[in-house]
This record gives sequence, C-alpha cells and structure tokens, in this order.
Amino acid sequence: MEFIAVFAPLIGFIITGIFGTKMGKWPSIVITCGAMFAAAAASIYLFYAVNLQHAPYTTVLANWLTSGELSVNWALRIDQLTVVMMCVINIVSTCVHVYSVGYMSHDDHQIRFMSYLNLFTFAMLMLVTADNLLQLFFGWEGVGLASYLLIGFWHHKHSANAAAQKAFVVNRVGDLTLALGMMGCFAVFGSINFDVIFAEASKYADTDFVLFGQHLHAMTAICLLLFIGSMGKSAQILLHTWLPDAMEGPTPVSALIHAATMVTAGVFLLARLSPLFEYAPEIRVMITLVGTATAFIAATIGMTQFDIKRVIAYSTMSQLGYMFFALGVSAYSAAIFHLMTHAFFKALLFLSAGSVIHALSDEQDMRKMGGLWKKIPFTYIMMWTGALALAGIPPFAGFYSKDIVMEAAYASSNWSGQLAFWMSLAAVFMTSFYSWRLIIMTFHGKPRSSEEVMDHVHESPSVMLVPLFILAMGAVFSGAFFYEPFVGGEKAAAHGEMSAGHEEAGHHQPEVVPHESGGEDTVWARQSFWGDSILVLDENDSLQAAHHAPKWVKFSPLAVGLLGIIMAYLIYMTGPGVPDKIRRAVPALHALSFNKWYFDEIYDFLFVRRAFGLGRIFTKADRKIIDRFGPDGGATASGATAKLFSRFQTGFIYQYAFVMMIAVISLLSWFVFRAGQGG
Amino acid sequence: MMAFDLVPLFPELFLAVTGMAHLIIGVWRGNHSTHFIFWASAATYVAAALILMGVSWGDAIVLNGMFKFDNFAGFMKLIILLGLLASAALSVKYLDDEGVSRFEYPVLMTFAGIGMMLMVSANNLLALYMALELQSLSLYVLAAFRRGSLQSAEAGVKYFSLGALSSGMILFGISLIYGYTGTLDYGTLSATLLPMQSIPVGITFGLVFLLAGLAFKISAVPFHMWTPDVYQGAPTSVTAFFAIVPKIAAMGLIMRLLFEPFAPVSGQWDQIVWFLSAASMMVGAFAAIVQENIKRLLAYSSIGNMGYALIGIAAVSSTGAGAVVLYLLIYLIMTSGVFAVVLSMRRNGKAVENISDLAGLSQTQPMLAYTMAILMFSMSGIPPMAGFFGKLVIFQAAVDAQMYVLAVLGVVTSVVAAYYYLRIIKVMFFDTPAPAFDGALPFARRAVLTLSVVFVLGFVLRPSLAIVIAKNAAGALFAG
Amino acid sequence: MAPQDLLIEYLPILIFMIIALGISGAMVLGSILVARQKPDPEKNSAYECGFDAFGDARNKFDVRFYLVTLLFIIFDLEIAFLFPWAISLKGIGVFGFWSMVVFLGVLTVGFIYEWKKGALEWE
Repeated sequence: MEFIAVFAPLIGFIITGIFGTKMGKWPSIVITCGAMFAAAAASIYLFYAVNLQHAPYTTVLANWLTSGELSVNWALRIDQLTVVMMCVINIVSTCVHVYSVGYMSHDDHQIRFMSYLNLFTFAMLMLVTADNLLQLFFGWEGVGLASYLLIGFWHHKHSANAAAQKAFVVNRVGDLTLALGMMGCFAVFGSINFDVIFAEASKYADTDFVLFGQHLHAMTAICLLLFIGSMGKSAQILLHTWLPDAMEGPTPVSALIHAATMVTAGVFLLARLSPLFEYAPEIRVMITLVGTATAFIAATIGMTQFDIKRVIAYSTMSQLGYMFFALGVSAYSAAIFHLMTHAFFKALLFLSAGSVIHALSDEQDMRKMGGLWKKIPFTYIMMWTGALALAGIPPFAGFYSKDIVMEAAYASSNWSGQLAFWMSLAAVFMTSFYSWRLIIMTFHGKPRSSEEVMDHVHESPSVMLVPLFILAMGAVFSGAFFYEPFVGGEKAAAHGEMSAGHEEAGHHQPEVVPHESGGEDTVWARQSFWGDSILVLDENDSLQAAHHAPKWVKFSPLAVGLLGIIMAYLIYMTGPGVPDKIRRAVPALHALSFNKWYFDEIYDFLFVRRAFGLGRIFTKADRKIIDRFGPDGGATASGATAKLFSRFQTGFIYQYAFVMMIAVISLLSWFVFRAGQGG
Repeated sequence: MMAFDLVPLFPELFLAVTGMAHLIIGVWRGNHSTHFIFWASAATYVAAALILMGVSWGDAIVLNGMFKFDNFAGFMKLIILLGLLASAALSVKYLDDEGVSRFEYPVLMTFAGIGMMLMVSANNLLALYMALELQSLSLYVLAAFRRGSLQSAEAGVKYFSLGALSSGMILFGISLIYGYTGTLDYGTLSATLLPMQSIPVGITFGLVFLLAGLAFKISAVPFHMWTPDVYQGAPTSVTAFFAIVPKIAAMGLIMRLLFEPFAPVSGQWDQIVWFLSAASMMVGAFAAIVQENIKRLLAYSSIGNMGYALIGIAAVSSTGAGAVVLYLLIYLIMTSGVFAVVLSMRRNGKAVENISDLAGLSQTQPMLAYTMAILMFSMSGIPPMAGFFGKLVIFQAAVDAQMYVLAVLGVVTSVVAAYYYLRIIKVMFFDTPAPAFDGALPFARRAVLTLSVVFVLGFVLRPSLAIVIAKNAAGALFAG
Repeated sequence: MAPQDLLIEYLPILIFMIIALGISGAMVLGSILVARQKPDPEKNSAYECGFDAFGDARNKFDVRFYLVTLLFIIFDLEIAFLFPWAISLKGIGVFGFWSMVVFLGVLTVGFIYEWKKGALEWE
C-alpha cells in the first residue's frame, strides 16, 4: 500500500515526463491526476492501518550504499507522523492537481506543469517516508528542485527566473547546514538511520564534540545545524526572503508547495527529530524565538502588501512561525496539528486567490480589485471559509490548532514560551486584520479594475471549484475532528501536573496501549495516536500543561481575532480615506512594514554587493595571476601537446609499426638497464 | 582437475554451432536473410547468456587445462555477450542505410564473440593465442567490411598488418617464456615462477613482447597508432563494435594473464602497465583535443579510458581488479549509448561524422541532445552519473596501492578530457543549429540508447550492487 | 639417456641426408657433364609461376590467384593435420576420431560457404 502512496506520483511523472507531449494533454492529465488519486486513497488507507491500528512499520526497499561504517537503505518508514504527513500531502496535492487542470488549461505547457507537480509530490513523499537522514536529504533536495522548476515555470518571465534562482540560492544556505548536521549525526552516532539515532539519543545527551580545541555540546551543535537547515526550507526569519518572491510561480504551485507542503518540511524535520531536540533545550529556546519573530514580523508585513498572493505568502510565513514556536516548546504534535489544518486552509486561500486572479484575467494587485463578491459568490464563500479558519474563529480548524499552539506556549515552563504567547497574540490580531483587509479590498467596495476586465469576470469552472470545496471541508472540520487524537488528552494519570515528571531520560516512553482512539476514552489519546513517532520528555510536556491553562488564555486569541476583523471592517469598509490617514500618521512604521522590514535591501547591501565586490577582486586576481599561469597557460600547453601528439599520427603503416618497435625496444632497454642496476 | 569437461564451455559451443548454422542459412538465402540472421544472432546471444547463467560458476579447468572457468570468466563473458547484443542492435539499421547489409556481418560478430569469450577463460598460452586470433581475424574482416570504400579498405589493411605484427610479438613472447620455463600452462607457469629467486631476463623479455602485443589489442599507448585511423575508416557500426567489446575481452585476458600465471613477477610487469597506463591517459586526453571527427575523438577517448582501466591493474590488488571490471562494465554501457547517437548522425541519407555537425542539436532534436549530454557528462566523470563511480573506484584503488602519481595523473587527464566531452555539449547546445538529422531513431538503437542512459543515471541509486558483483568477479583471480 | 645414445638415435637421419645429398649431387653433376648446354635468357631466369623474379614487386595481377592460394592453404593444412592423426588414431581412440570429425565438419561448413559464394568459379 505504501508503494502506491509513494511511487504512484513518480510513475506519473516518468510517464508524462517522457511521453507527455506524445500522448497529448488529456491522457497526461488523466495519468497525473489518477496517480494522485491512487496515492491519496492509499495514504488514507494507511492512516487507518497505521495510525488507528497503532501499527507503524518500515519497508526496506534496497540497500542504497555501503561505505565503511555508513550503510544507507532506501526504505519507507511508515509510522504515525509519516502517515499524517502523507495524508496531508497527497490530499492537498490531489486537490491542487485537479484545480490545475482548470487553472492551467490555457497554458501551452500544461503537461509539463502536471508532471512537475507529480515530481514534487513524489519528492515530498520521499522526504517524509525517509528512514534515514540521507534519504530525507534526497527528498529535501528533490522538493527544492521541483520548487525551482515550478517557480520558474513561466521561464519567459524575467522575474520568475530571478525568483526561482533566489529561492534556490537562499535554500542552499539551509541545505548546507542540514548536510553538516547530517554529518554531525554520523560523527556522533556512527549512523544516520533514524532508528539508531533515536534509540541512542539519550545515551549521547551529554557528549561533547571537540572542534578546533573547543568543546561543543554535541546535541546542541547538531540541532543548531539541523534547525538552520529547516529555517531555509520553512522560510523562517533571516532565510525567508525567497518565499514572497516565489509567488511568481503559478498559483497552484504557491498553494501546494509554498503553503501546504514544502515549506512545512522544516516543521516535519524538527518533529521527526524530536528525540534529538528534546536534548537540546538551548536550541529549542532559539527555535521559539525565531518562530515568534517570524510570526510577528511576517504578520506586520502582511498588513500593508497589495499583491493578493504576497499577503497570503506573508500569512503563510507567519503561520510557519507559529508552528516553529510550538516545536520550540516541545509541542510537536501541536505543530503538526497546526501544519495539517494550515495546509487545508492556506491551500484553500491560495486557490481561492487563484480563482480571483483567474476571474480577473491575471490581475494580482488588490488595488485593482473590489466589488467582486456578487460575480463570483462561490469563490467569495471559500475565501471567507479560509479566512475564518486562518483567523481562528470557532468552529473552523484554525481555532483548534492555533489555540493549542498558543496555550502550549503559554504553559511552557520557559520564558521564551511566554514571549511567544504575547507576540503571537499580537500576530493573531494582525492576521485577522489583513485577512479581512484582503477580503474587503478584493470583494467589496466599488470595482477598481477596468470595465473590460470586469465584464470578463466569471466564476471558475467546476473542476476548480470542487477542489476548493474539498479543501474547505478540511478547513472547517479537520480541527474539531482531529483535536483529540492529535493533541488532546492527558499524557498519563500518574503525572497529572506539569511538575510531576522528572524521571530519568530513557524511561519516558509508556507502553503504547492498543485501543481505538477518538472514542470516549481520551486519557491516552495523544500518546496512543502518535506512538513512538514523536518523543516528548515529561518535564518538557507543554501540551500536558496547556490543557490546564487559565480560561482567559484559551479565549484571548479568539477575542483578539474578532477585534482584528472589526478593525479591518471599520477601516476599509466604512471609511475609504482612513487607511491613508493612518499611513500618514505613522509613516515610519508603515514604511517598515511596506518595505518588508528592508530585509532584501539589507541582504543586498550585506551579502549580494559584498559578494559582487569580492567577486570583482577575485576576477581580477584570477585573470591576471591564476588564469595566466593556470588554465590559460594550461590550455595553451594542452593545445600544443595535442598538436604534438597528433603529428605522430601520420597515417603511414610503417611509421606506426616503427613506433611500436621503438616502444618495445625502449621497454626492453629499460629492463636491461634495471637488471644492470641490480634491481 | 584435468578433465575433458565441456559443460562450462556450452555457451561458446552453442554460439559456434549457431554461428555456423547462420552462415549456411545466409549463404543459401543470400543477403535477404541479413535481418533474420541479425535478430537470430541477437537471440543467440541472449540464449548464450542464459546458458551461461545456467552453468555452474564454480572453478573448473576444462579441455585438459586449456580453459578455466570461474567467477571472473563468467562475469566477463556476460559483459561480452551484453556488448555483442548492444552492437548487433546498433548495427542493423546502419548497415541498411549504408547499403552494406550483408549476412556475414552478424556471423563474423558471433565468431569474434566466441574468440573473446574464450580469451577471458584461456588458461594456457596457446589457448590464449588461438582465441585471440579467432577474435582478431573476424575483426580484420569487419574493419574492411565496406569493400567499396577506400577508407574502409585502408582501415582493414592497416589493422590487419599491424595486428599481424602484434600477433608476431605475442608469439615471440610466448616462445621466449616457453623457452625459459618449459611450460605454457598458466598453473604450471606460476608454480615455476614462484620459487625463482631472480627472474631470467628472457622471461622478462618474453613478458614485454607478450604485453606489447596485448597492449595493441586494447590500443594502449604507444601501441595505439592504428586506433584513430581504423575507428575513422571502418563503418561506424563496426567502430562501435570495436569500441564496445574487444577491449573488454582483451582487458579480461590481460588481467587473467597478469594476476594468475605472472603474479609472482608482478614487480616486473607492473612497471610496464604503469607506463602504458600513464602514456594512454596522456595521449587519450591531449590528442583528442584537436580532433574534429567524432569517431577519431572517440578513438582517443577509448585510448584514454583504457589508460584509466590499466591503473586498476597496475595497483596489483583485488580491489584494483574489481575496479577494472566495474570500469569496463560502465565503459561498455556508456560507449554503446554514445555510438547510438553517433550512428544517428545522418543528413540527407549520408552519414556525417564531424563534431560541427552536432551544432545546435538541442534545438533540432532535443531528446537526442539531452541523452548525448548526459552520456558526455558521464564520460567526463561528473557525478552522479555512472562514469563518475567508475573513475572513483579506479582512483580509490590507486590511492590504496599508494600509486599517487598515477592517481594524480588520472585526475589531471580527466580534467583535460572533460574539455572535449564538454565541448560536444557546448556545440550541441550553444552553437547555431546545423540542418537537422534524418528521421527518427530505429527502435533497436533507441532501446540501446534508453537503457544506456537509464543505467548511467540510475547507477547512483544502487552503486553498491554493481561494485560488489565486480569485486566478487575479480576476487576469483586472486583466489588461487 | 646419455648424449651418445641420443645422437645414435639420429643416425638414420644423418644417413638419409648423406644419401639424399649424394643422389641430388650426382643428378646435377650428371646433367652438367652429359647434357648439351645451350643457354638463353629465358632459360637462365628463375621459374616462378610466370612472374619476373627480379622485377618490380608491385605489378598488378588477378586477385583470383590469391583466392585460390588461400583456399588451397586451408585444405593443405587440413591434410597436414590428417597425416599425424591417421598415424596415431590407434592411440587416441574414439575421442580422437570424433575430434577430427568435428574439425572436418567445421571445415566443411567453410567449404559449403565458399562453394555457394562462388569462390571456386574462375569466371
């Protein structure tokens, strides 16, 4: 079953990649979408078989490479965490595939697009099913490649190419540290297989590296590297600049890769490696801080952007920040929970935005929208659904996941958790503010686009609307439905309070009690649902504590969210002049937000121009010194040698024979000479 | 041990019988039957491979010590059959196009194949010589196969007369060795050499002559002079055949010869191999730079590649031998793919052979250009293509054996060689397009090309598999 | 075996050579003494299949001569193998017999080929 779930997209990619243009459009679409349907069905079955039956397993496909101590397999690690990710990926991907059938129907290269989507899905599945770091890295680079190809899909657009390159280069920073982290793991554990690493993590909790005479705490170093690796892919602050630009890609790509799946790879990585991060408390504090900063800063930027996709992109970044600080406070399952709900509602938002863009003949600027809600009512409703889920209004999915994340932060025993809670509370306000700003600017008020465009406005075809509806179902129900199994329940009756568990590390895993979860008995729900796939040390268990958070903590996000909606309504609906007034009132703040905190400019100044300057110096040195004596000289010498050698090639047999004889005689002379030397 | 047991030679016997049957059928039915005989031969190769796999691969010495069958022989024979199959598949359409579709062609290939298979399991210097000549005579005829063409005839004559010279050297070497040891049998030979305190200079001389003659067969520098001319002059399908299979057989022969009977005098021959290897790498890399004809270029490329393979032999270790076997396998598959492309270079019904004819191929025939690019990347040893792993294991073996000079030389010449491989890519992708080539690739050629590219790209997924098999095969040489 | 004995073994050959030399010498001498001598350039030149023995080696002649020669050599060699085989057949037995039959069979295949190809026809 796992083979279908993982390899169906690969087969789809290979078939359409090679024969796509021969087969024509419809067979390719049927194959790619069919592959995704099969994969999605298979992963839902796996959800039943693995998560509900508590039966994780690993399928070894083949030995990949063996070199000294290093032995790496191709394997599919099918455990609870993997299957949850597989379900999210495959379902969202299926929706996006179907949606793309309509959205890309006017594009000449739709076949290529569909096969890239298949490729991406396969790489992502490879990433989540990896049972060792190298295979994970393979998937990691695979999604990077697919992302590059898809951002730059419209390669005739200069900006798309630039964005694709930017994404690739920025991600390289993270990938480098991820690779280093992987090597670090090998150095410490002598293996990069998850089973080995997880089993021995507690043993090495106090190991030190010695590097340049410095003692480094091994876990901290490894986790730091791995965390920076995940920052790149998940667009955390400092390495986030590629994500907004990545919106140059087609909208389905933004929905699938840059909202629902690929950018959450970092979250997955950290959750997967929870047994390591549990032993690196400093790094978890750092993760919390980075996540918090991302959540906050991205939200501020989101408030002032005008490109509809960029607003959602910053929103994505902000939500990723939530997931990260949830990871930072050891609420891994809450992070995955939020990942899942976010995948649904953010894909929904993106695809709805795509529907709007489609309706407006590829217009993305919200200043040129407005007054659309009567013309495209279905999209309008979908957008509302997504926004409500995003803002965390009950009973939509975001409410459950965002609240548990924030409660966990609040309840965390660490000061960084408190900070995260308050900052994210502010971000909640901004989130709902920009969401409704988006809705109001897009759908309400007077139409601001030209009449010609307005005349063309039409609801999207049903092939685009059905996926929206499915995602909307997810955005509405996934929170309530999965709350109990994912994050609910007490850990164990014995240690009811957060202060209770101070056992020795290593005895932290209670036996998995095999019984149905999601039923009435929820005491063990979370533990039994995740099984061994996520490890939380008892003293860090913030989720446990979260269930005992004060009532006001539980309700304040909701209250703040509603406040944001009201603010947006007041400012953008009632008074058209109000935004300008605010802008003039706090010009500095607005400029900071509007210019995205000047990250791009700072990077340009710090790195890009420095790199160019350095490059220029090197170019000069290179041309004048190295080239002259190195390659250029070498090339000239090579050319001369080549001519010399080819001069031997006269074409006369007797000369050839002569050369052969000379060679034999020289060899003989050599041996005679050596025999004379007594050798 | 000394038994008259034909079972391990069943594949060769089968090939011989069917080869003769094809000859009779062909001569009765005339050239109409060429296609039939081609496919029948291809089926024969497959069948022979199946028989080969059915035969027990345990050590066996057969025909009163003339031939030895072990893991190494078995694996090399499999590779050879694979190469034969690929060459046959590549040749059919080309011969049709060139109007030289005669039924002797596949039959000659079969006979050459028998010779090559016997070469790798020869266990006696006479068996060695006989197998070598069976192979060589078939190849001489093939080189001159297009009788009407002056170039082809010239290639045939050159190859034949220089080949005769090299055969003479081999015979002379054998007689010197026989004179000083009194035996031709590999086993007895090594038993005779082992207790010797100092090696008589006659044996060394014999070894030099023997190796010089064999170096001719693998076109190692300075016995390579025939290669560019013959590669260029012979019909391209024959060139493909030359480049793909006989080199491997001759390499296998050399390996068995050096690692089994002459293992006790490795101090002598490894200097020769060292020299051959270094010279081949140098010439292969540098002389190719100025070539304009792609067949000539590939000739130098094969010279260089043999140089790399020889590094593994010079290392005198089981790791080195394993590396050679792996390298040969990868080389065979890459070369098949490259020649599939070269054979498709036809314009207005005529074959074109210049590198400039590939100009702008990426626009006229993108699939062909991309596959060629992949193969070129692999040839120049760029990871993660298979070619990279071939070079990697070779250099690793050299470093293990502390042959740093050869290893460094190998890396340097790889870099130089990368220039002309990459130049082809540059021509294909960045030059103004030349007129398109004729038509689509025939099925068999496309199959070879696809399989080759799939192997080259897919190798990275399971490198250990091939490495282990090659190591096991080579291990048989060091078992005794 | 002492060296003396070894040489004794070769004595018949020595005798054979002496007699052969004697007879051929006697014939040459006899013809010189008895026959009438009337030399001319044609008679003085060496006889070599109609070619000029001391002329330019690179003159053209019919390739069919080669073909015939090559075909002849093959069957000539066959005969050369058949003689020792025939003599030692008693010693090598059934195995030896069938070995030669296989050899002849292979040659026959080649013979059929050349026949059908028309290599034996002069025109």
